[in-house]
Amino acid sequence: MNRRVVGLALAALSVAAAEDARQIVAESQRRGRADSQRYEGSLEVVSANNKVSKKHWQSDRLGSYGNSKAIIRFTEPAEVKGVALLVVNHPERSSDQWMWTPAIGRDRRIAQQDRSTRFFGTDFSFEDLEERDVDQFDYSMQGEESIDGALCWRIESRPKQSKSSQYTSSRVWIRKDNYVPVQYENYAKDKLVRRLVERDIENIQGIWTARLLEMTDLGRKSRTILKLENVKYNVPMQADDFTVQALRRAM
Amino acid sequence: MRVLAHRVLGAGCWVLGFAAAAFGQDFTQRGFLETDFVGYPQSAPNDSGLALGEALFQYEAFYKLSANWQLAGGIDARTDTHQQVDRLWELSWEDRERRRPSFEVRQLNATYAKKKLTVVLGKQFIRWGKADILTPTDRFAPRDYLTVVDSDFLAITAVRATYGGQSNTIDVVWAPLFTPSRVPLLDQRWSNVPAGIALAELPPSFPGGSQFGARWNHIGSVAEYSLSFYDGFNNLPLFNFAEPQPPIVEVQRYYPQMRMYGGDAAIPWKGVTVKAEAAYFTSTTKTEDEYALYVVQLERQAGEWFFIGGYAGQVVTEHRSVFDFAPDRGLTSAVLGRAGYTIDTNRSVAMEMALRQNGKGEWATLEYSQALGGHWRATASFTLIRGDQSDFLGQYRRNSHGVLALRYSF
Repeated sequence: MNRRVVGLALAALSVAAAEDARQIVAESQRRGRADSQRYEGSLEVVSANNKVSKKHWQSDRLGSYGNSKAIIRFTEPAEVKGVALLVVNHPERSSDQWMWTPAIGRDRRIAQQDRSTRFFGTDFSFEDLEERDVDQFDYSMQGEESIDGALCWRIESRPKQSKSSQYTSSRVWIRKDNYVPVQYENYAKDKLVRRLVERDIENIQGIWTARLLEMTDLGRKSRTILKLENVKYNVPMQADDFTVQALRRAM
Repeated sequence: MRVLAHRVLGAGCWVLGFAAAAFGQDFTQRGFLETDFVGYPQSAPNDSGLALGEALFQYEAFYKLSANWQLAGGIDARTDTHQQVDRLWELSWEDRERRRPSFEVRQLNATYAKKKLTVVLGKQFIRWGKADILTPTDRFAPRDYLTVVDSDFLAITAVRATYGGQSNTIDVVWAPLFTPSRVPLLDQRWSNVPAGIALAELPPSFPGGSQFGARWNHIGSVAEYSLSFYDGFNNLPLFNFAEPQPPIVEVQRYYPQMRMYGGDAAIPWKGVTVKAEAAYFTSTTKTEDEYALYVVQLERQAGEWFFIGGYAGQVVTEHRSVFDFAPDRGLTSAVLGRAGYTIDTNRSVAMEMALRQNGKGEWATLEYSQALGGHWRATASFTLIRGDQSDFLGQYRRNSHGVLALRYSF
């Protein structure tokens, strides 16, 4: 009888912890919401043998998380200028993605099974460029930990069945003082494959924003440092500018 | 059509004015200067040249006039050592020249976009279809086939209106001017004319009418598919031969009427994406075949690799043509493939090939490419062509070649 009560109590605690973890992630996403976001991204890709290549893109995003649409357009180096990626996020399933390559005048849908591929030589995969809606994952609280002196919740997420993902699980560290995620670790079959560290957190138009993102591909031993410049929120944008048709109009 | 030389100056001023007036956040430009060195290990019956050099300067500029209007302009300037490029200081608009023009309006168009409607007016590139190596429904995309297996697309003069949102779009195209594909020069190796035959080329007979096409495209949560229709002319020619003054044979290109009913689809399936594209072609021209072309291909990206492999087929429902130049049909009854591997951030290798199912023709290109800093890229490739004289690919078996290319992009 006692064992049954303890079991029920543990189960209840586990549900409560899961609920807390989900609520923390939901609150973190709520605080990061904006009608739109625009930034210029400066990327440094550092290979395992320390060769550095630099790229620049401009990112426009309409909406936030599950209902957002985004276009990332390369502006440098010269040979990839104009290459663009359209990401249409959905609250109930994985995003749709199309890539526009001006040199061949064709757009190409990025199939689900191809999302683990690196995005144009960076350490971000196509999947890493989609937004993670809170409802597409199950969460569990893993404890607390300090990162750079800031106390964080450590939360594990696992994709629900409706969500197709290269990652079997992820861990996210969310700062307790401002609910900003500062680190992600992504696992494939319990092996750590990519780590994203977010730094230089700044309050821009009331939204805590990481201005420096460092993605490390632990398999390749390479990393990509993305610096966000000229970050603006709530810039007027039209939904019709986030379609495959609009992608082809890319300058 | 060639325009007068003073229009070169006019267009040049337009491009410069465009760039100068519009510099700012709404202005972007890109381009490159590329030099190619091409070597052929074997001479051809009508061409003893074994090496040639080419240089191409390409510049494109885009300016967003307002929230709804955008302008795009581009120019190609080129030269070579083998007379494949004209030596005239004239600017080409229509791309009807026998040789590549030394100066060419690559594109010049205005785009109006409002809500679900986009209209593009002017010289522009239009690509239809989903398949990669062979696209039967891509009817508004003539190509430069001067060196048959290394073909670039040519822009056409057209009005294109696209209406729709993300799920369904209707694309309507009207092209008042006909742009032919550029075919191999008769006095050079890719024409494959047997030695000893004296050919005199008469001015081609270009059709006078316009071309029209419509395409409906659906994007679903799982699959994408399209239906398309085209009514106009084949951009690949048929040939008339006559011998009024033997031994000189006169040859004239003409372009048959063509109507196309087509469709294409892309469906993710068991770890690969299946792409299929098919089109049926009819013609009122009595010397043109009626036929269907189809392609089925599988596509996959995995890690640093990508693979595309498929089969292209042809069904001739009425055979009427005698002399034609049809590289699209020449790639059918064949297994087609493309693969690539990214070595690191700066280096990649790629391979493309076509193998005829009866073994009478094969073509394969292997390419290595390396970026050098932020602007330079060097590419080395070798193309192997083998087969029988009777086969479309096989007839070019003496044209295997290597290319070294150096490009500066800006």
